[in-house]
Amino acid sequence: MNKAYLIFLFCLLFSLKLSAEEKVTINGYVKDASNGEALIGATIYVRTLGVGATTNVYGFYSLTLPNGTYDIEFTYIGYAKQVINQVLNSNLRLDVEMIPQGEQLKEVVISAEKEQSLVQSVEMGVNKLDIKTITKIPAFLGEVDVIRSLQQLPGVSSVGEGASGFNVRGGSVGQNLILLDEASVYNSSHLLGFFSVFNPDAVKDTKLYKAAIPAQYGGRLASLLDVRMKEGNNKTFEANGGVGTIFSRLSLEAPIVKDKGSFIVAGRRSYIDVLAKPFVDILQDGAKLNFYDLTGKANYNINEKNRIFLSGYFGRDVFFFDGDQGFSWGNKTGTLRYNKIFSDRLFANFSAIFSEYDYSLQFGEDDRDYFRWKSSISNYTFKPSFSYFVNSNNEVSFGAETTYYEFEPANATAASNGVARPLRLDTKYNVENAFYISNDQKIGEVLTVQYGIRYSSFFSLGPGKKITYNDTIPGARRRPVSEVEVRSGDVISQYNNWEPRLSMKAQLSNNISLKAGYNRMVQYLHLISNTTASNPLDVWTPSSDNIKPEIGDQYTVGYFQSFGKNDNYEFSAETYFRQTDNQIDYIDGANLLINEYLEGELLTGKGRAYGLELYLQKKEGRFNGWVAYTLGKTELQVEGINNGEWYATRYDQRHNLKVTGFYEINKRLSASANFTFVSGTPATFPTSRYVVQGILIPYNANESRNNVRLPAFHRLDFSLRLDGKTVKSNGKQRKNTDYWVFGLYNVYARKNPFSIYFTQGDKRVPVGSAINSEARQIAIIGTIVPSVSYNFHF
Amino acid sequence: MKQLTLKYLSFLLGIAILTACEDVINPGLESAAPVYAVDAWITNSQQAQVVKLMRTQPYFDNSLPPGVSGANVRITDNQGITYSFVEGANAGEYIWTPAGNESFGEIGRQYTLTITINGETLTSTTEMNPVPPVDSITFNKQLGNQFIDDIYFAEFWATDLLPVGDAYWIKTYKNGVLLNKPSDINLAYDAAFSRGGGFTGVTFIAPVRTSVNPFDEDEDGAILSPYVVGDSLYVEVNSLSEQAFDFLTEVVIQTDRPGGFGELFSTPLANVPSNLRNTNPSGTKVVGFFNVAAVAGNGRKFKSLEEISRVF
Repeated sequence: MNKAYLIFLFCLLFSLKLSAEEKVTINGYVKDASNGEALIGATIYVRTLGVGATTNVYGFYSLTLPNGTYDIEFTYIGYAKQVINQVLNSNLRLDVEMIPQGEQLKEVVISAEKEQSLVQSVEMGVNKLDIKTITKIPAFLGEVDVIRSLQQLPGVSSVGEGASGFNVRGGSVGQNLILLDEASVYNSSHLLGFFSVFNPDAVKDTKLYKAAIPAQYGGRLASLLDVRMKEGNNKTFEANGGVGTIFSRLSLEAPIVKDKGSFIVAGRRSYIDVLAKPFVDILQDGAKLNFYDLTGKANYNINEKNRIFLSGYFGRDVFFFDGDQGFSWGNKTGTLRYNKIFSDRLFANFSAIFSEYDYSLQFGEDDRDYFRWKSSISNYTFKPSFSYFVNSNNEVSFGAETTYYEFEPANATAASNGVARPLRLDTKYNVENAFYISNDQKIGEVLTVQYGIRYSSFFSLGPGKKITYNDTIPGARRRPVSEVEVRSGDVISQYNNWEPRLSMKAQLSNNISLKAGYNRMVQYLHLISNTTASNPLDVWTPSSDNIKPEIGDQYTVGYFQSFGKNDNYEFSAETYFRQTDNQIDYIDGANLLINEYLEGELLTGKGRAYGLELYLQKKEGRFNGWVAYTLGKTELQVEGINNGEWYATRYDQRHNLKVTGFYEINKRLSASANFTFVSGTPATFPTSRYVVQGILIPYNANESRNNVRLPAFHRLDFSLRLDGKTVKSNGKQRKNTDYWVFGLYNVYARKNPFSIYFTQGDKRVPVGSAINSEARQIAIIGTIVPSVSYNFHF
Repeated sequence: MKQLTLKYLSFLLGIAILTACEDVINPGLESAAPVYAVDAWITNSQQAQVVKLMRTQPYFDNSLPPGVSGANVRITDNQGITYSFVEGANAGEYIWTPAGNESFGEIGRQYTLTITINGETLTSTTEMNPVPPVDSITFNKQLGNQFIDDIYFAEFWATDLLPVGDAYWIKTYKNGVLLNKPSDINLAYDAAFSRGGGFTGVTFIAPVRTSVNPFDEDEDGAILSPYVVGDSLYVEVNSLSEQAFDFLTEVVIQTDRPGGFGELFSTPLANVPSNLRNTNPSGTKVVGFFNVAAVAGNGRKFKSLEEISRVF
C-alpha cells in the first residue's frame, strides 16, 4: 500500500512542477442570465488549444492559458452558446451569464452536459438527473419525486413499492450518503418510501455517484447522492406552485439585492387531512395525518471574491390517532457556506453544517398511563475545501472535514398506574475527522486521471460504557459480561482508515472512451434495520469497540460511446465488483429498539456485489428517452446465518430493466411513459410446520436464508402533460405559465408481489383440532392509480 | 413493543392512502425430512400435565400433527424427585396425573425433561419462576366514533414481582375458551414488554393490563366489542423462564403476521429457537419448547353496565 502513496505524491509534485511556466489565468462564475442561478458543470473551451474546464458546484471555473488571443466558448445544454474573443496578457476575471434557449421541440434529458458528455467526462458510475427531466417522468399520484426518478437509472433499485430509500449496486439503504446542500439526510422519505423529502421546486441539481466517489466525500459504502438547492432568482420575483393529489406546493424566489443576493423559500404540505376534517370526527378530536416540508436558501455576493449562502430544510411526518397517541418523525438541516476566491487559481469553500433526524412515538390513555419515546441523531460539521487550478492539465482539491455526532437511541418515559419511570439509554458521542487531497490530471491527449486519498478517523468518546460481550455460538444473542464506565472526553474506541480513490479515462476517439476506477469507502455509522423495508423507527448507531466500521472496495470498468447525428445517442456499459467487510446482519428475533445491549444482537460478515449496467439514451428530438438494464448479484456471508454459506440479500435483483420515453405530440401536449421489469427478490420460505401450545409455527428445516424468489415485478406508468396557452387572446405573450399533468400509475393494474408470508389464518381454531396453514402474497399497490395535478409559474 | 407500534403504523398507512391487496397463493416449497417437535408446557395448576412428542409436517399439510408413540418421558427436579409421564389414548401424548390435591413442582426448583425414543435422548432443563397474584379485573367503556361503536373492554390488575428479570405469559379464557390465535399471545417482561426497561415491581403497564381483550371483527369487518354483558373472562398469568420469553417473542414475530402494509416492516422468516437438544448432536433434530410455569389467575363475569369503572 505504501508504494501507492509514494506514487501518488510523486504525481502530485510532478503536476505542481508543471505550473511553473509563465501563463495567465481566467476565472469567474457562469450563471443563468434569466435568474442568476449558478450553472454547475458548464463548459469553458478554447478550441485552438484544445483545452477546457468545467464549472464546479458553485458555478466557478478557472483556466490557465499561455498569453494570446482566444475565442473562448461557453456552453451548457439548453443554453445558447457564447463565444468571447479575448486578448489575454494578464489574469482576468470573466463572469458569464448564459441565455436559456426558449421552448423548443427538443428537451433536456438526463445529462446536463452536452459538450462534456458522459463519454468525455472522467467520472464514471455517475448519473445526473436535472430537474426538468425529473418533472417529466410519470410519478406516483402525480407527485414529482427525486428519489423515485433515480430508480429509473441503471444500478439503482428498491425492495418494492412503499419501501423507504433506495439501493445502489447491491448496497443497502443505509449505505447511501444523501446530502442536501452538503448536510446529511438520515431518512430521505415521507410517508415511508412513497415520496422523498426533496421538494422538486427547490432542487437545482441531483447527482448520483455509484462509483469513483471523489476523495472529498466519505462515510457510506455504496453511493453518494448529492442534491443541490436552487439559490433563488436574483433578477426578479418568481413563484412556482402546484396542487396535486397528495401535496400542495408553493415556492417563492426573489432578489435580496438585485444581482447580488437572492432567496428561495419552498414549502409543501399534504392536505388530505384538511379536506377530510369536516367529515371525520377523529380529526376534530386531535387525530393528525400529514407531512410537510419547508426548504429555504439565501445567498449574498459580498464582493467579487466573497459570497455566502445559508440554506436549510425542515420536514416532518405526523400521524396521530388522537391527542395522546401517534408518531412523528422528520429531518432538519442547516448549511452556512462561504465561498472565497483567494487568487485566480485558488477557490475555497467553508461550510458549517447541522443536521438532525428525530422521531417520537407516544401512546397511552391519560397522565397515569402512558409511554412517550424520542430518539434522535444529530451532527455538526465543519468542512473547509479548496480547489487549486494548477494549470489546464491539473486541478488539485484538498480539504478537511470534522463532524461531531450525538446519538440519542432512546429517551422515554413510561407511566403505569401513576408511577412514572424514565427509560433512557446513554447518549453516544462521536467525532469523525477526515483529510483529503486529490488531483484531476490530463496526461497527453488521451489519458485523464483522477486520483486522491482520504484519511478518516472515528472516535467514540465518553461519558459512556465500554461493554464486553461473551462469545457464543454464531447466530445466538451475546450477553454482556462486563461494563466499564468511561469518563467524559475519554476515548472508548478509535478507528483510522486510508481510503484511496482512483478513476481514469482513455479517450480512444472523439466519441469513444474507456474508463476504470477503484475506490475504498469506509462507513462508521450503521443503519440498524432488520425489516423488509427500512422504516422511520430504524436507528443509526455508531461504530464502537464492539462494531467495526464497514469497509468496501469497489472496482469498476466502463465503455462509453456516443453516436448518431449530433452525437444524439449515448451508450455505456459498466461493470462493477464490490467487496465489503464488517457488513451487519442480525440474530433471529433481534430486539433492536430501546435495547442497551443492541450490539449483542448484531452479527457481522462479508459482502460481495457485482454486476453489469447497460444504458442507451436518445438525448434529443421529439421522441427521446432511455433504456437502462442492470444484471446484478449481491450476497452476504455471515457466520450463524444460512449455515455460514453465502446468501442473497433481500434487495438482490438479477435483472432490472427500465425504459423511459418522452414524446412531444405538439407544442402544448407531451406524453411520457416508463416501464419497469425487475426479477423477483429473494424471500425465506418454510419447509415444515409444528404446533406448540396451539400455535402453528413455520420451520425451515434446511436453515436457509432467502431460499426462494418472489415472482417478477413489472409495471407501466403513463402521463400526459398539457401546457397552458402561452399567448393571450389578444396575441400577447402571457407572463404566467401553467400546465396540467394527468397520470396513470400501474396502467395494467398488476398486483406486483411485495412479499409472501405464511400464516395460520385469522380464525380461532378449537383447541385440539387441526390448524390450516396458508401463504399470502401482498401487493402494496395492486391497482391502477390515476392522478391529476395543476402546476403554475409566474 | 415494536410489533405493537408497527401495527399502529401500518393501520395509519392503510387509511392514509389505500389498502394493500392480499391473495392466497400456493407456492412450491422445498421438501425436508421430519424432525421431532416437543410441546412441553407444564404448570403447577392442579391438573394432569401433558408432554406432546410429535413430528414436523410439510408446511401445507393441514392434518393433525403426527404423534410419536413409544417414548419414555420423565421430568426430574434438582432435589431428586421424578415425575413419570405415561402415554395416553392419543398417540404422542404423555400424561402425568396428580394424586389428590397434588400439583406439579415447586417454585424455584430446576426441572429436567428427558425423552428417550428409538435410542435417542432429547433433553432440556428449566426452572419454575414465581408468579404474582391477579388482584382484580375491571371493565371499561370506550366511547365510539363514526367508525367504531361503543365497546367494552376488560383490564386486569396485578403487580410485577421484584427484582428485575421476571417474564410472564398472560393467557385469557373468554367464556371458558382459551383465546389461542397468534395475536392473542400476550407477554410481559417485568411490568412492561421487553428487557432493559427497568420497569419492575410496579403495576403492569396499561397495554399489558388491557391485553386480555380479543379484538375480533364481524363479517363486514366492523370491530366487535371484546366483551358484552353476560360474558365472563378468566386471566391466567404463567411465569416463564428467560428462554421461554425469547421463544414466545419469536413465535409472535413469526406467526402473528400483520399482513397489508405491515409487511413492509416484517422481519425475514426465521426458525424459532428451541431449548431442547438431542444428546447425540448428529441425531434427529428437535424443535419445540419445555417450560415449567407457576400460574395465578382470577376471573369475573360482566354482569351489568353498572360495573363499568372507567370511560374513555
